[in-house]
Amino acid sequence: MAIIQAHQLSKVYGAGDTAVTALDRVSLSVDPGEFVAVMGPSGCGKSTLLHLLGGLDRPTEGTVSIDGHKLTDLSDAQLTELRRRRIGFVFQFFNLIPVLNAVENAALPVTLDGVRPAEARAKAVIWLTKVGLGDRRSHRPDQLSAGQQQRVAIARALVAEPALVLADEPTGNLDTRASDEIAALLRQVANEWGRAVIMVTHDPRIAAYADRIIFLKDGAIADETVLEPKNAQNAAMVAGKMQAIGT
Amino acid sequence: MSVRNALLGLLLQSPRHGYELRSAFEAVVGGEANWDVKPAQIYTTLARLEQSGLVRVEARGKDSGPEKRIYAVTPAGREAFRSWLASPVRSEHQRDEFFLKLMLTLATGEAEPKKVIYTQRNSLYQQLHDLTVQRDRSNPKTELAQILLLDQAIMHVEADLRWLEVIEARLEEVRRQPLPEPEIRPRGRPRKKKVEAA
Repeated sequence: MAIIQAHQLSKVYGAGDTAVTALDRVSLSVDPGEFVAVMGPSGCGKSTLLHLLGGLDRPTEGTVSIDGHKLTDLSDAQLTELRRRRIGFVFQFFNLIPVLNAVENAALPVTLDGVRPAEARAKAVIWLTKVGLGDRRSHRPDQLSAGQQQRVAIARALVAEPALVLADEPTGNLDTRASDEIAALLRQVANEWGRAVIMVTHDPRIAAYADRIIFLKDGAIADETVLEPKNAQNAAMVAGKMQAIGT
Repeated sequence: MSVRNALLGLLLQSPRHGYELRSAFEAVVGGEANWDVKPAQIYTTLARLEQSGLVRVEARGKDSGPEKRIYAVTPAGREAFRSWLASPVRSEHQRDEFFLKLMLTLATGEAEPKKVIYTQRNSLYQQLHDLTVQRDRSNPKTELAQILLLDQAIMHVEADLRWLEVIEARLEEVRRQPLPEPEIRPRGRPRKKKVEAA
């Protein structure tokens, strides 16, 4: 069953003559283990779509359902709770807290959710190890490379065991090599760890890591392509490689 | 041309017979899937090189069939190979089949131009996907040359994708402009201008 379903999502900013349609009746659904890239020129509605899917903004029309719960039916408090427990966010600029080290940053979502500090730490260490930063756990963001900081952000996105990970230009601030590594890691998050991953990107090379690419144009889905073979078949290969490069 | 020169180079590296030469060629281009050369092409090329005096048969096997001849490069062959190395390679980016397809889509109206662009884009993404998977599988410690070749392919596909984006964005403008028409030139010899009497 799909983890997230969007039905006829529209978003209009402003009203009357000055109204701008940022998103125009977009429908999509993403399954567990699936890695979907959303592409399109700037201003095509990519970020608006991601914000609506993550419950960060409310649609003018249409619905988003996560685990079968319609976001529009939830109160603000319920929405916040659902966001914290079911959705992990990854941003272009990592958004790590400078004074906290890698473990403290990664543990933040569960700490905020009231999990005991020792348990939150243990969960964070597990995810940092999985993303290849087991030996950097005590480093602060300024002691890590950009690629490593994004790995911490991915561990932080996964620490609450969300069903869905939303990534907004996750490689926008990285060099080619780090971008490839982060894209491969997001693929692993989906194909091996069973999360649904939706990533907005403008970089074709990064989009090519996905299982499916959705092309937005003028706020609507212009085209969609399913890439074969699906990466799930390469999962073992990716795992082997991650071990080989010692991450 | 490049196969012929590559064969010269491989024979310069060490004399071999046709079958070995084909395997060596495949290895250096990164596999049959990248650049498939049929045995017949190898043998005809070798025959031509021999005729031109660029290679010679160094040894023959017992049954002396063409498969058993071991070829080596002559001094003239080495000279030809060196001059190939010394000359740059010309790329042919302006001879593009997709461009031709798009122009004829616009000229005939037999397909929806956007659809033609999207079909191409989907195929390029599939190629990019396959190439990145292949690159991921390659070991940078032992297969760096292959990775560099994959990088070349990846960069070209990326460039093609960016180009399609530009085309899609400007499609309406292109449609509004007249399609390139041939210049009509009168056939035969130009008529003599009448010389006016002074």
